Amino acid sequence: MSDFRGQPSSLAAVRAKIAAIEAHARADCGVLTFGDGRIDGCLPGGGLPLGRWHEIGGVGMEVETAAAPAAFTALMAAPLARQGEVVWVFRRDDLWAPGLAGLGFPPERLIQVCARDEAEALSVMEDALATVGVAAVVGEVEAADLTAGRRLQLACEKRGSTGFLIRRRPFGGNPRREATGSAAATRWRVASAPSEPPPDEFGLGAPRFSVALERCRGGRTGAWLMEAAQAYDLEDTHGTHPLRLVAELGDRQLAPTLPLRRAG
Amino acid sequence: MRRLSAVDAGAAALGLRPGQKATDAMALVPELATEEAEPEADAAALTALADWCVRFSPAVAEDAPDGLFLDIAGVSHLWGGEAAMLGDLQTRLAANGLPFRCAIADTPGAAWALTRFGVDGTVAAPGGQGELIAPLPPQALRLDEPTAAQIERLGLRRVSQLMSIARGPFARRFGRAALTRLDQALGRESEGLSFRRPPNPWFARLAFAEPISAPEDMARVSADVAAKLCARLELEGRGARRFEICFHRLDGKAMPLSIGLALPGHDARRIAKLFAPRLETIDPGFGIEVVTLIAQDVEPISARQARLDTAREATVEEGLAPLVDRLTNRLGEDRVWRAAPVESHVPELAVGRARPLAPPTEARAWDRSTPRPTRLFRRPEPVEAVMALTPDDPPTQFRWRGQVHRVRRAEGPERIGEEWWKGVIEDVRIGHVRDYYRVEDADGGRFWLFRAGLYGDPAAPPQWWMHGVFG
Repeated sequence: MSDFRGQPSSLAAVRAKIAAIEAHARADCGVLTFGDGRIDGCLPGGGLPLGRWHEIGGVGMEVETAAAPAAFTALMAAPLARQGEVVWVFRRDDLWAPGLAGLGFPPERLIQVCARDEAEALSVMEDALATVGVAAVVGEVEAADLTAGRRLQLACEKRGSTGFLIRRRPFGGNPRREATGSAAATRWRVASAPSEPPPDEFGLGAPRFSVALERCRGGRTGAWLMEAAQAYDLEDTHGTHPLRLVAELGDRQLAPTLPLRRAG
Repeated sequence: MRRLSAVDAGAAALGLRPGQKATDAMALVPELATEEAEPEADAAALTALADWCVRFSPAVAEDAPDGLFLDIAGVSHLWGGEAAMLGDLQTRLAANGLPFRCAIADTPGAAWALTRFGVDGTVAAPGGQGELIAPLPPQALRLDEPTAAQIERLGLRRVSQLMSIARGPFARRFGRAALTRLDQALGRESEGLSFRRPPNPWFARLAFAEPISAPEDMARVSADVAAKLCARLELEGRGARRFEICFHRLDGKAMPLSIGLALPGHDARRIAKLFAPRLETIDPGFGIEVVTLIAQDVEPISARQARLDTAREATVEEGLAPLVDRLTNRLGEDRVWRAAPVESHVPELAVGRARPLAPPTEARAWDRSTPRPTRLFRRPEPVEAVMALTPDDPPTQFRWRGQVHRVRRAEGPERIGEEWWKGVIEDVRIGHVRDYYRVEDADGGRFWLFRAGLYGDPAAPPQWWMHGVFG
């Protein structure tokens, strides 16, 4: 342990060891790449890990409406929807399928479930995640505590389906204290960003989102400006990820990591 | 004027009869105890009794105000014959303290006649109802008031006398309806009964020597009765979408419970599993003695062969269908759905709810090239303090939910009119239009708002509404 930071190979070895311990029984379900190294490089394995669950939150008034997180989640889940059904669980029934269809999400693969309360929404998510033929489950809940998160994780591991948890207060009121710890693989915060149509065009451009990856197990955090380039476009562009990275955002980045000072 | 609507056996013995004036009755029997007639409660009690009778036969028809028809074709063997079945019915009705009369015959008309005018508990031999109703008075044929009065006036006292009249003169003299009644009683014409639940051949029943009440026993008998019915369904290559189990308690109450399946099925274990979590809502009271199970929406199912080439890909039957069943039975049928396109310009009507595993509809899919919001509010929310440069321009600033939004970019208007061809033509107004704008505020929030009404209409000034958010 003379110079721990100086030996990247041993660091990588330790990381691999930890990852092996963490994923002792977990089958490797692969990743979903964004197709851009700037974001894939932050994520463990080079893409959004599948067979895990991810947390997506909003900003400001979006804590209640959760429109940008829903649009962003639909865009992330769209490639998964080609492999199986997507179950979307919510308490407030205002998700509108034509909007999702416009973003490129196949609405014929979407099953909507309206739960009566928070606990029911979580248990429906769990049930759906553990079902054969369900590729992804999206749940709109206020918060998942450590126990609920762990249960979601176990359900994800059963069949390798991917969960997306949109943090939302469906009926207004003061937001509950955010859970400090979480079993989520990644945590995102999504807000709408001003669109930039081509200079000679009138109206709005393709929807843009400013996306912050606030927490990432086995990866790094980051912030980006992303665009749903294929939204409201009839051309079928299978293969490419519906989200395109426009720019990296500096202002959302965490404080730059300073080299540690040796004690003594 | 107050009249007696019903009398019990004791009052009848004293010479009182229904329809008598209450004052006359009081004069005859000063100590007469009367109660207000409650026709609604009587009807409800009859319905409850009809439900109770499901333990004998699934086909029970109410004959208001005071009768029940049970179609026992094909079920009497469960009791070892019609007479034994009638005996069981009589014992149970008597145990419940109900005054009753009953009879069994080939036709509802004959059974009705024998019950009301014949010997109580008659079992007419097949084809033998003619002889049995011949000596009965003509009222036994369920005739209407004037016809019965006319027959009375002509001095006809027996059904046999009516039977001897030739059909032509009979119909001319007493009307077609009377002839129909006679034919129905004799089985020359079939009679349609409106059963409380449609007659259903998919019916299974288990009776217990000792009443049960333990939850695990109820779970076991529901599995047993499901296995019994599903064996028959499987044999005929059929599956059902809906199963209704009914627990009949000792005290005569019937406790129903039903489940639905997303795809027709006949897997007894799965059906029992869906019943299991809801059995606790059943109060067994002093015990349950009979359990019945009815399969509804029965349709043929083709046993699909497992495809070898897609061994890894899950079939709907093993994964999705059980999930949908679990969710619909736990949350309710209206809480699990798949959005289906409906051909309508009005945004809130453009999405219908389809059953999750139903085949896709014929309707054209939504146009993907016109931007539509991710979230649509069920009721548009009012937008205040809207500023626009000219009347038809998109707003430059608006306030929604207490927050002022400065519009940076906008698209529109997209005019959506009412569907005038669907409503009453008098209600159609030229001003029933919405001009939708898609706007983006300085922070990037994208909104879908519309102006209802037209400028220049002093009676109804245009109003701005927020209908959805794109995110």
